Amino acid sequence: MSYYLQLLLNGVIAGSVYALFAVGLTLVYGVFRFINFSHGELITWGAYLTLMFSSPPFSWPLYLSAAPAMILTAMIGFSQDFFIYRPLRRGNPITLLIASIGLSYMLRNAVRFVWGSDLKTFDLPPSRGIELGGYYVTETQLLMLAAAVAFLAILYLLLTRTLLGKSLRATADNLELAAIMGISMSRVSAAVWGLASVFAAAGGILLALDTNLEPAMGATNLIKAFAAVLLGGAGNVWGALLGGLFIGIAENLGVAFFSPGYKDFVSFGLIFLLLLFRPHGIFGLLAGVR
Amino acid sequence: MDYILHVFILALIYSIFAMSLNLELGYAGLYNFGHVAFFGMGAYVSALLSRSGIPVPGAMLCAMAAAGIAGALLAVPALRVTGDYFGIATLVFAEMFRLVCLNERWLTKGPMGLPGIPRPAWIAPGVDGLPGYLLLTAVATAGVFLFVRQLTRSPFGRSLKVIREDEHIAQAFGKNVLLLKIKSIAAGSVLAGLAGALWAHYISYISPADFTLTETILVVLCVVLGGRGTNWGPVLGAFAVIFFGEAVRFLPIPHELHRYVAPLQGMVYGGILVLIVLKLPDGMIPEHRRPGA
Repeated sequence: MSYYLQLLLNGVIAGSVYALFAVGLTLVYGVFRFINFSHGELITWGAYLTLMFSSPPFSWPLYLSAAPAMILTAMIGFSQDFFIYRPLRRGNPITLLIASIGLSYMLRNAVRFVWGSDLKTFDLPPSRGIELGGYYVTETQLLMLAAAVAFLAILYLLLTRTLLGKSLRATADNLELAAIMGISMSRVSAAVWGLASVFAAAGGILLALDTNLEPAMGATNLIKAFAAVLLGGAGNVWGALLGGLFIGIAENLGVAFFSPGYKDFVSFGLIFLLLLFRPHGIFGLLAGVR
Repeated sequence: MDYILHVFILALIYSIFAMSLNLELGYAGLYNFGHVAFFGMGAYVSALLSRSGIPVPGAMLCAMAAAGIAGALLAVPALRVTGDYFGIATLVFAEMFRLVCLNERWLTKGPMGLPGIPRPAWIAPGVDGLPGYLLLTAVATAGVFLFVRQLTRSPFGRSLKVIREDEHIAQAFGKNVLLLKIKSIAAGSVLAGLAGALWAHYISYISPADFTLTETILVVLCVVLGGRGTNWGPVLGAFAVIFFGEAVRFLPIPHELHRYVAPLQGMVYGGILVLIVLKLPDGMIPEHRRPGA
């Protein structure tokens, strides 16, 4: 029994990071109505830029490196929108998807170009395991959980308590109507890309703390984020959050029942089944705050 | 000289692959981002059968049939969703296929891959067989080209174009839209299976790493660059993409910079795909549309 609870705990920790990825992806979908395939590359770039600032010539401590890395990732997010997605917005969503696939491939290879294809780590001392009532977590994993909770709490306050959050929700509900009501689209668009990039970067950094950095890390986790988005109903922020947790738990519990080689199969299979049978998600009832 | 033959063989195989995708993406407007699964299926079925002693032509036919059946079976559920959701569903299908190949070691040997895939009996192995294999792929490409051209000029092809432009119009004319789409995916998958089988018997070694998202992006690039919904577009696109990829090897690059070549190539491929969508949405050969239509 405690074996399963340990897996559940691992799942919650992994899931909280997936939730960070999924929130940004679903925000972009909610407002702009297209699947941003290059969202995964924001994850990768966030992690690698932190690596850049924490290694020579900068050699800043990790917590200081994370901030400029997130800002630069947000710059990448803004430029994506400005140079590519905005000119295409009037067209078919499929052209946006093709463009984002091309962009994702370009950015992934840019990572390989700059940092090489080998696995990298943040060169930290190995994290100590802590025993909590018979279950084991590492300090890094606790940090992951805490950071994810903090980020998502900030997002909650932003969306529910501020005018910007209100205009974001209005735009996600109906872009044209929101524009008619005088909500500044350029502000909304900047907020969406900023939030999506910072959350992706934060998730990427946390993930890299626990595992390692590799150029394909974003693409792999994008699939999981996408499964989480679909689970929660595309465009639904809280659905994506729950979806992320669900994916993390399902993957880790799944390891108890089938070969770990099929771990990724969980999210693939979920996406496939959800698209075919429940394209509006299963947490659709919780659509209160979009 | 042998190298030039090799490049031509690759370009011809990719031409078949791109033409098969064009049938779905260009004519029927079905954005299949998992087409590489059928290429891979063709490669694996043909490789496994021929390794167990079945003559290569027979193995290839079985591979085409298997890919076609799999395509039709995927199409039935996947066509419940449209547009970008269809794209994601097929993309995920391809990743699932790759995971199965990676994990079912009893069949596919997993990441080790399948070595020693034989060539047809009348083609010599190794470099000596290059002219023969070039002939085989050229004949296959010509056959596929004529088949696709015939198909797309037939009422079937014209119906697909109507579906692409507006499904409701096709429906109003009494066309069975779902059936037509399934047929186009099945036909595309059969041809992708052929391309995969030709590739497997040529390269003689396959592994799951050969059928990733990268190959999907390459073949989508071939079709979009060449020109969607045209007969020559995918062929032109495939030749352009393969020739560029191979030409990069001849750039006078110092040895210590070799690490940068492959990523740079990937950046160019990705960048071109973005640029085409932005600046040249019709590709190098725009589809002929009647003025005023």
